[in-house]
Amino acid sequence: MKLTLGWFLLFSTLFNNGYGWSSEIFSESLKIAPLPDGRVSTTFSFNTVLEGALPRDPRSLTSQDASQHYVLFPLTLGQILREYAVTELHLSLNAGNWNYERWGYPEEKGVGTGAELLAWMGVEGSESVDDRWKGLRNALAGLFCASLGSLDEQRTTSPDRAFFPQGMLPDWSGNVTHQLRHASLPSEHVCTENLTPFLKLLPCKSLSGISSLLNPHRVFDADWHGMGVHVSWLGAAGVQVRLTFQSVMDPLRYSRNTSRNWSLRSLFGHGIERNCPAASSSVIEVTLPDSEHPSLTPQPQTSSGSKATYDVLTAEKTLDVAMQWQDGFQYPSILNNSLPVSVTRTLRGFTQASGKLSLVLKNRRSTPQELIYLETMPWFIQFYLHTLQTRIDGHLRDDIVSHMSYNAAVAHSRPTTFQAELRLPPNSVTQLTLDVDKAFLRYTEHPPDAQRGWDLPPAVLIPLNPADPINSNNSHTYNEYRLGEPIYTSTLLVDVATPDFSMPYNVIIFTCSLVAFIFGSVFNLLTRKFVVLHLDANQQNN
Amino acid sequence: MSTSKFLIANKFDAAFSALVASRIAFALFGLSNTLKHDQLLSTPLSSYTQLREGIFLLRNGVDPYSGGTFRHSPLLLALFSVILPESRTYASLVWTIFDLVGAWALVSTWRARQNVQKTSRDKVVAASYLLNPYVFLPTLALSSSSLQSSLILLSVKYAAEGRASPSLLFLSVLLHIDLSTLVLLLPILLLLISDPHSHLASPRPFSANIRRILPLFGEFILYTTILSTASTIIVGGTQWIPQTWGATLTLPDLTPNTGLWWYFFTEMFDHFRPFFLMVFSVHLLIYVVPMCIKFQYDPLYAIFLLLGVLGTFKAYPTLSDPGLFFSVLSIFPEVHPYLRHPIVTALIHLHAALLMPLFNHLWLNTGTGNANFFYASTLVFACGNGAGLIDAVWAGLRIAIGKETEGYVVVQE
Repeated sequence: MKLTLGWFLLFSTLFNNGYGWSSEIFSESLKIAPLPDGRVSTTFSFNTVLEGALPRDPRSLTSQDASQHYVLFPLTLGQILREYAVTELHLSLNAGNWNYERWGYPEEKGVGTGAELLAWMGVEGSESVDDRWKGLRNALAGLFCASLGSLDEQRTTSPDRAFFPQGMLPDWSGNVTHQLRHASLPSEHVCTENLTPFLKLLPCKSLSGISSLLNPHRVFDADWHGMGVHVSWLGAAGVQVRLTFQSVMDPLRYSRNTSRNWSLRSLFGHGIERNCPAASSSVIEVTLPDSEHPSLTPQPQTSSGSKATYDVLTAEKTLDVAMQWQDGFQYPSILNNSLPVSVTRTLRGFTQASGKLSLVLKNRRSTPQELIYLETMPWFIQFYLHTLQTRIDGHLRDDIVSHMSYNAAVAHSRPTTFQAELRLPPNSVTQLTLDVDKAFLRYTEHPPDAQRGWDLPPAVLIPLNPADPINSNNSHTYNEYRLGEPIYTSTLLVDVATPDFSMPYNVIIFTCSLVAFIFGSVFNLLTRKFVVLHLDANQQNN
Repeated sequence: MSTSKFLIANKFDAAFSALVASRIAFALFGLSNTLKHDQLLSTPLSSYTQLREGIFLLRNGVDPYSGGTFRHSPLLLALFSVILPESRTYASLVWTIFDLVGAWALVSTWRARQNVQKTSRDKVVAASYLLNPYVFLPTLALSSSSLQSSLILLSVKYAAEGRASPSLLFLSVLLHIDLSTLVLLLPILLLLISDPHSHLASPRPFSANIRRILPLFGEFILYTTILSTASTIIVGGTQWIPQTWGATLTLPDLTPNTGLWWYFFTEMFDHFRPFFLMVFSVHLLIYVVPMCIKFQYDPLYAIFLLLGVLGTFKAYPTLSDPGLFFSVLSIFPEVHPYLRHPIVTALIHLHAALLMPLFNHLWLNTGTGNANFFYASTLVFACGNGAGLIDAVWAGLRIAIGKETEGYVVVQE
């Protein structure tokens, strides 16, 4: 088995040389970190690099594309990327709400609840970006069995101040500019039907290597789980596809006493039985807590500072990494985390016609904190920007919000995009409030179970840190600031007024009858002449 | 004689001042914050909150017509961004002034119809406008429909006085505020070339030369073109047209109001929507020519009836639209004896006026009623408006026959 695959790899490498791609490299890793609240965060990352490849030039969409022969690179995904000339793509499907307060920053930063799709595409060419975006989301919907097809123009925005490409954007020697498309669908539920096609994209499926740990029974039992697909162009290094799976598991839930001991077997049901032969590297990295010193079995191959690593390819099988804590778990009274601000977003108001959006930001640091605030809302939540009020510790202030950019919603078609810069004073609580109207939808626009309401997408806050002149190569800058990791707020549920869904015929009949009655009466009066009749008692009897 | 005239004048001034004072007192009560969200009093096309939002966007360099819910005319945007009443007290006063101007215009129209300087009925006419709850509640809610009513009355006043230019100018401003006021164009043109006096009791063929309409129509087109160009210059493009005029025709915002359109098009099947939008829009225009032909001897009465049509059938009505119709009824005292069922109409209105706010609150705020409750109350309201309209048509025609005598009966053939 190993031998045949090796030959196959050799042949395919030679074969691919003819198409300009030197080789494909697949590596996998698993990061495990105990969290302060006793839970364990696990992050799978499967990285395939197509060396020397270049994203498709959108101007070449009319001509026949070169044949695509991949060995490790997922063909179905590659075909979609070439078909719609997508340069960079980020898809995340998450279930649950990432608790920044307890868990700090996630390893993979796209943790907004539900589905989120981001793509950068070249503008030039015969097919418009919007047409390709439509094709892309439908293709991905088919590939991942997710309702991404409903990320239509009612959900699509271009918030170019909040999101920046991770990789590079080629200009194909012709000044091709790129456009961003972003959409999120907070009501999307992630489950095993999404994981199965995800695993199919991996060279070893879930048969061997680290990916064999992705056991749907266990990962979908986690307190939080999410998967991601990240495609970016790394310049000369080629096109990278990174498939990630994150989960937050709770060993305390499984243990009889208050022990947070975990092992691969307790988290995923089994250890790693065999290597993935396609992987050039396969690493498990365990983060060790600062204060306590739990023991790790087996002994890690390398251990530096707070990281212990296992090389799965050389480790003894069955590999079952386990962490043993000496004493029972005491829930910490204060959770320290590296988060610059903490955010709470709520929609207040009891009527189904209007409400008040409120955002409370806490800056615990003793330095002012700048943030980019991005709010995207479906059209039926209508903002009244003149009612935007900012309060610091209860006092009205007008110097907090600056550089607003606003793209108003269009009824029944386009969502609202609101971007602004916030400047939070040190050690303060900032409250932003904004009056909103809840629109009235046509009866065909309501989802099934309309009384449940609509999920509203999370807001995104991107901290702006002072630029570090030495270390500024690899990160994006904005007005001399370095963009930090985004913070997603929780989603909101909005209660929109519903019509009576069984009434269409009745309403049409009632209204039309009334209109016809008034119309008929008026024209009856207008068209007939008045006459005076003599009332003769004899004649009337006839 | 002169003393009695003086007394009448004095009485009118005193009564008018009392009315003005009571209205200003109402305006200063500060009810506008509670009423501004009331869907009976202001629609998305006339709400003060939208106006504030549009002005805010304009000042912050965002095109208010690039999307969103701002559907006021660029003329209003320009006007209020200059004299914007930032404080609500100031705004309430400005809106009360709109109503006072409207009442003054209604009284002037009445005087022009009677062809006298002052009458003892002036204060009744003024009170019928200033104390009509359908008229002053939208004013307290700072709805721009109050401004619209005042402009209609001003346009009619100048038409009744035979002053073509101000009348047509006001009408073309009105057209920019609300497209459906186009139905008033023909009767106002007819009024300009004939006289405002009551000929209801003595019908006669239209005497004036109908060709004189053409230069007046040309003048109206000229004003409209100038104002449209001004709007385009203010906004910097033609994107205001779909947002303002387009909204009355395509009904993008289905917020409940007192009219018949909103629930009909909420519940409409998607593939029939364009057809019924066309039917409802054309339906408004259907009444214009027949009313003008039938009441060719009294175009002012045709205007009055078309106000009733607008109040019942227009796309985004508020209470002030039917309110205007019932206030204008006060300048036709000659038809009052011939109304067949004024009590019934009044009771239907009382019924609807109590039920509409109640059911709106039950549906949207407490969640104990549903949309059908409020829809049913708007249907009753439309029945009341329809009853008023039909009765007014009947009375306007019936008066020509005169009093019934013993042994004879008046019927339609």
